[in-house]
Amino acid sequence: MKTGLGFVAAVNLIIWAGITLYLFILDRRLKKLERRPGYRDHGGGDG
Amino acid sequence: MIYKILLTIWMNLIIAAVFLYIEPAAGFPGEVSRILFFHVPMAWVATLAFLLSMIASSVYLITRKVNADFLAQSSAELGFLFCFLATVTGSIFAKATWGSFWNWDPRQTSIVMLLMIYGAYFVLRSAVADHEKRRVFAGVYSILAFCTVPFLVFIVPRITNSLHPEDTLNPAKPGMDIKTLIFFLGSLCAYTGLFVWMLRLKVRMLRIMDKERGRINFHK
Repeated sequence: MKTGLGFVAAVNLIIWAGITLYLFILDRRLKKLERRPGYRDHGGGDG
Repeated sequence: MIYKILLTIWMNLIIAAVFLYIEPAAGFPGEVSRILFFHVPMAWVATLAFLLSMIASSVYLITRKVNADFLAQSSAELGFLFCFLATVTGSIFAKATWGSFWNWDPRQTSIVMLLMIYGAYFVLRSAVADHEKRRVFAGVYSILAFCTVPFLVFIVPRITNSLHPEDTLNPAKPGMDIKTLIFFLGSLCAYTGLFVWMLRLKVRMLRIMDKERGRINFHK
């Protein structure tokens, strides 16, 4: 393994972990909003 | 839920393998060719997103179903994002291979034009107050905007003198063995999966915002 590649890989993995964490949190929040009384889905995916 | 977890694991594996397992693609200087595993999938997803936006806009103009407009808007936004990221990663690659981040190479110029064309799409959307008119104008514009995509992405850089790999002045082609190719295709699939995930979230968000008329801040 070349010097520095491990560091670049680690940075990339951290960025990717941040993105997925954000998407999972956003998904949960959207689910909560969709479950609220009064929200009617117009038809479409469940995410 | 399961596909999101699988996608997360898959993307982690791809990133780790790209840097730690496979050899850099032949035909390019040093380790920088590893950026191909990110740059090309981003450009692919951007083109796919613009295509999807055009199709959804056409569906909206025919059927007037609001969901189609949500899909068109979401897809255009994500296409713009991935196109911007492809430009940034391309610039990093350009620095390593051509000596400077920005050369106004036909490929770079055409991608900037594409970003400006889709930037205008968002300006148009925000400039029209009436919902119905906004959706119709944006739908027509999205179709017109996509007409430029094949020219700017595939044709212009190939009929002019460009330094971009596989174009006129630089016939360099990434040399990939089967192992590298598998991870390259895996990266394409992972980015496509990420795009689908983000797209579905964005469509749901627009649907709720439409229902609530912007009273919700999703980031709080």
